[in-house]
Amino acid sequence: MDQPVLLETNGLIATLTINRPNARNAMSIEILDAMHKAIDELAATSTASVLILTGAGKAFCAGMDLKAVLIELSGDASVGEELLTNLAKLTLKIRNLHQIVVASVNGAAIGGGCGLTCVCDVTVSHKDATLGFPEVDLGICPAVIAPWVVKKLGAGKARKAMLMGGVMSGIEAFDIGLVDHLAEDRNGLDELTHTLASRLATGGPKALSATKKLLNELDGSLEETMVLKGAKLSASVLATPEAQKALASRLKR
Amino acid sequence: MIQVEYQDQIAIVSLNRPDKRNALVPAMLEQLDRELKDCAHKARAVVLVGKGKSFCAGFDLKMCADDPGGETMRSLLSGLSTVVRTMRAMEIPVVLGVHGAAVAGGCALLGGADIVVADAQAKLGYPVVKIGVSPAVSAAFMMASIAAGPVRTRLLDTELISGRDALRIGLVHEVVEQPADLRKRTTEIAQTLTRKPGLGIQATKAWLNEITQPMTNNAQRGLEASLALTGSPEEQERLAKLWK
Repeated sequence: MDQPVLLETNGLIATLTINRPNARNAMSIEILDAMHKAIDELAATSTASVLILTGAGKAFCAGMDLKAVLIELSGDASVGEELLTNLAKLTLKIRNLHQIVVASVNGAAIGGGCGLTCVCDVTVSHKDATLGFPEVDLGICPAVIAPWVVKKLGAGKARKAMLMGGVMSGIEAFDIGLVDHLAEDRNGLDELTHTLASRLATGGPKALSATKKLLNELDGSLEETMVLKGAKLSASVLATPEAQKALASRLKR
Repeated sequence: MIQVEYQDQIAIVSLNRPDKRNALVPAMLEQLDRELKDCAHKARAVVLVGKGKSFCAGFDLKMCADDPGGETMRSLLSGLSTVVRTMRAMEIPVVLGVHGAAVAGGCALLGGADIVVADAQAKLGYPVVKIGVSPAVSAAFMMASIAAGPVRTRLLDTELISGRDALRIGLVHEVVEQPADLRKRTTEIAQTLTRKPGLGIQATKAWLNEITQPMTNNAQRGLEASLALTGSPEEQERLAKLWK
């Protein structure tokens, strides 16, 4: 079977690719575990100063694996909380990396997948990409990623985006500050990502990581409490009959 | 002074003092607070809009000038702070629509809303320092919503900005081209919200409130800072001048 994530390093730039294209790179326990391992490795041994996070195939990351959290299918109500806690810890780990992390959003970045982009330092995408937080449409609460979305967009815009649900185009995402650099189309994204990553990598590695560390301190990124509490909250909403019903009907479509 | 209509599962709450551009008086804020608390149990989303030519011109300054003891100003500041906190604490989402103008206390109401729509040419701002009043009462909720730089500029500068510029700094989340489209658009947004499963929306709003609490906890301090200046000679002098 294919590896769940691919980690490559080319000089000062490392690339981590979520590799589950058939499921639009949705985050299963397997994917999350593999991401944890890759991030641990980057933190411990890598001399890269920039990490690009992207997805294999058409999507960046479709969010949580909905099949895994549907109790009717798994028969196990604890999977939701396990997955969400795992995601919460992963976001903290990515934020704490000394590398500058660039999300290269090649396609759909939905829910938790869109939340991952907010954990990264810089987000690059293209006009035809799809981003957003449709959790409320399914009766669930994006509590794990909400602290990151608030930090990225400011609380007012985050409130609007997360309460309204739905998805937006790359252009709209760029307008509200969810995306920092926008390519014309998918074809232009790789070059834009490479240009940006190369430019970031020209910085002194110590200066880059010290700056990132300070920014993390200033915006409370090192406060784990809210993100971990978010996992519990999100799991409790996820387990309600209302949410399970909405998820089941989404999966049948 | 406040009108409430129900449409499906939405409560449409209107500031209804159109001949005074919906200028706020203490009884109006008390009524608004009561109605908002009341409709939280009856509806799944609230729309707050204004009747007549503009959303809200702020406090009724004539009434303040006629009360040199400052009691009216104090009631208005406290009432405004209460309403904004009520809007935020409500379990259901609040959609606010600005047409024409949202000035001073009228603009402060935006602080409690979850989603704000304005017409592109609407005028928004907090030009209260020129009458010797501090907009500190609005600072906590504004800083819990948009970046600190624009907050500073908007609260210290008496300039009014357009709906389109307000969109750029995040004070407004969406603009409509025509003031006449505002009621339709805010109602549409509220309808979209009521069609989603309710628990997810409630939990998400409550969680965002908790995330922003370190900032909104300063609301009382802000109110006290504004109250501390009421009745000052500077304020009295400047208010009186408005009517000469």
